[in-house]
Amino acid sequence: MTGLFKSIAAAAGFAAMVASPVLASAADLPSNIRLVIGSKSTGGDTYQNSAIVAEALAKKLDINVKVDAVGSSEAFKALQRDSRGTTIMIFHDQSYLGNLYGVRGYDDIFDNYVVGPTVAINPGNAYLVAKNSPMQSMEDVIAAAAAGQRVRVAIQAGGVSEIGFSALKNAVKVTHPGAEENIVPVNTGSQADKNQLMFDGQADVINGSVQANEQFTQLDADDQKAMRFIWLTAREETIEQANPEGMGDTTRDELLAFTTPNVSVTLDGSKDFTFDKEFFFLFNKDMDAEQIAAIDTALKEIYAAGDIQKTQKASFFIPNYKPQAEAATYLKAKRDEYRHVIDAISTK
Amino acid sequence: MELLSILTPMFFTLVTAGTVIGIIFGAIPGMTATMAVAVCLPLTYSLGLENGLALLLGLYVGGISGGLVPAILLNIPGTPSSITTTLDGYPMTQNGEGERALKIGITSSLIGGLFSLAALYLFAPALADFAIKFSYIEKFLIIFFALTVMAALSSSLLVGIFSGFLGIFISLIGAYDISRGGNGELRLVPEFLEYYLESGFSLLPVLIGLFGLATILIEAEQGMKEGQSLSGVKIGGKPFKLSIFKGQFVNLFRSSAIGTFVGILPGVGGSAASILAYSQEKNFSKTPEKFGKGEPAGVIASESANNGLTGGALVPLLSLGIPGDSTTAILIGAFTLQGIQVGPLFIGNNPVTWDAMIIAMLVANIVMFLVMVFAIRHLAKVVTVPKNILFPIILMMCVVGAYTINYGVMFDVWTLLIFGLFGYLAHKIRLEIAPFIIGFILGPSAEIYFVKSLESFGTFSIFFTKSWIAGLLWVLIAISIAFSISVARKKNKTENE
Repeated sequence: MTGLFKSIAAAAGFAAMVASPVLASAADLPSNIRLVIGSKSTGGDTYQNSAIVAEALAKKLDINVKVDAVGSSEAFKALQRDSRGTTIMIFHDQSYLGNLYGVRGYDDIFDNYVVGPTVAINPGNAYLVAKNSPMQSMEDVIAAAAAGQRVRVAIQAGGVSEIGFSALKNAVKVTHPGAEENIVPVNTGSQADKNQLMFDGQADVINGSVQANEQFTQLDADDQKAMRFIWLTAREETIEQANPEGMGDTTRDELLAFTTPNVSVTLDGSKDFTFDKEFFFLFNKDMDAEQIAAIDTALKEIYAAGDIQKTQKASFFIPNYKPQAEAATYLKAKRDEYRHVIDAISTK
Repeated sequence: MELLSILTPMFFTLVTAGTVIGIIFGAIPGMTATMAVAVCLPLTYSLGLENGLALLLGLYVGGISGGLVPAILLNIPGTPSSITTTLDGYPMTQNGEGERALKIGITSSLIGGLFSLAALYLFAPALADFAIKFSYIEKFLIIFFALTVMAALSSSLLVGIFSGFLGIFISLIGAYDISRGGNGELRLVPEFLEYYLESGFSLLPVLIGLFGLATILIEAEQGMKEGQSLSGVKIGGKPFKLSIFKGQFVNLFRSSAIGTFVGILPGVGGSAASILAYSQEKNFSKTPEKFGKGEPAGVIASESANNGLTGGALVPLLSLGIPGDSTTAILIGAFTLQGIQVGPLFIGNNPVTWDAMIIAMLVANIVMFLVMVFAIRHLAKVVTVPKNILFPIILMMCVVGAYTINYGVMFDVWTLLIFGLFGYLAHKIRLEIAPFIIGFILGPSAEIYFVKSLESFGTFSIFFTKSWIAGLLWVLIAISIAFSISVARKKNKTENE
């Protein structure tokens, strides 16, 4: 009997030894993670970038990571419900801009969630006019408003789409006080709706993106659909990191012509407004810190290996990994900066 | 030659597999083509663009087509665009003609799918240029036109209109969607339900509650004998013959064209296609009184229109980078995941991918037809399953479908129950379910297009003066209303006599 007990004890010990790394790993992170995103679209930049990161993360950690495009409202609810680490989220600056603009369903992310590492920038946030518009540049737009012309800008209210509009209005206020009333928003929804407003002549300027609108800028001016970039909100140094071939038939150098300092939308008369749309993780406030650290460490190693950067750049994203602690501080400072812009013009 | 290198056995296997899986998704109440495409989207990473599209397009065609099976056999629309299929398909099943109705539906689906595919291949850029002539105003008028058919689908004109308006009213519960240009504020929501009703009631749980659960409750009240099946008549009934399509050429052509046309207009929605096609066929029919009682022309109109949508919805996607319906909105992800820009230059810049997509759609339509025709004999037997076995299974499928539609939201199951009970009560007090659900589906779009039109132009007169298209739509609306009134008067007269 003693021999049998010894054998069982030895077998149990061996099993425990073999199993312990598996159990330890499983205790750190679940084997199936649902990555919710703040967009309902699978054709947009949030899904595309999240899919790239999810695939790399799944490979690195040897787990399953499934991206669910459920939209901001459902994503925040799902994240709030789950502190086990089985639901995590990727979103972008909309998550705090929505709160600054007072949009329903957007709590203060810095109070209600753990802000995680940043992963990439989409440098494509753009403003466009019709190719045959009398306004051919941002200077023309500002001059038209200063001359008393009503300039209608198609945006989606309460977020990334509106921040550039707020900055434009602020710039007109700074350079031509009182004329900012001539910059008026046309609140609409999807990119398709914004494009349609331009096709109909219902908007003079639309918010768009390099990815979604570049092909329209290649059309002849007599085509009803033809558009022209007049402003990219990204910083010059952000666009400079893109591949030289740029996007579609527009090279990086051509895109740089639409960023500051070539296009000036002043913040305060001396400094230009810029806005980089950054993607980052959000975690449930009560999620185990070790689990968050495990994801952060995995991302650090993924970015150190260097392959993900190539994939992101090929899709016109600028890799921008910042560890969790650094990212949280950085994004909080960024939020405070844009709060000033919004407070200055109070578009609502 | 490059195209031939793409057309591998793997390509055709994926189209076939996608179509079969799509049919299964479409046939399960609560599961849709959109869900099937969303679930399989990440696979496009490993499959590559053309093979990935082969799978997804198969799912799309199969998913849209599969919806006719529960619509005809169980009176539960598998997808929202199959609602009008239930109107005549289910009565045909009750008359013992389930198999015949299925064959009519499948053949019509094939013709609608091929019609729209030809339109896509031959006229995509021109159709896209025409589509952008439709602003908020014209889109509102199309929705309004679709809403005018509510009365035509009802046994009582006033009750139909009331039911439709009730559907619109309930569809407006929730936030005025900021992602569609609204202000994000909640309307008509009690405070204790704000958390659950922020996005309003989800369409599919409402749909399967009204059609699936309500039917079961009504049957339960009547009681059922052990072993009693759904159809009192033996399956088989009248045999299916291609001659049924004799005299239906105009119906097929018009309904397929309506489906394709509605598909090219982003934001109008697939349900509007089959509703419009069905009502137009009824309006032009010499025997409109037969509709709703098992008229094959109704199934033909509905099914050719909803499959006509498939090619139509790809027109704005591939010519403008704008999805035409909810499923192509997911499909665009296949391109973005591969870093391919979709816009006005897509077809010219990617001729091989374009050709591969057309071939995939063609194959998917043919596979859909063959698979469903061969499966019909077995599918149709579902009506012979005793109700005491069938109904619990349907109930379980409804609950699972409702729970999964938004990736696991329990409130959607409560929605199913609420609208199941509502459907039961509506039956009791003789409210009309078809106009109600049409109002519910089209209400949010009608609201947004109406409000945005007024915001843009600031005057009601713009609805009449915007363009010749608006003028034409008013003429159609007037004819539709006049027809509804005329039919109602005739009916009253006949009843009085």
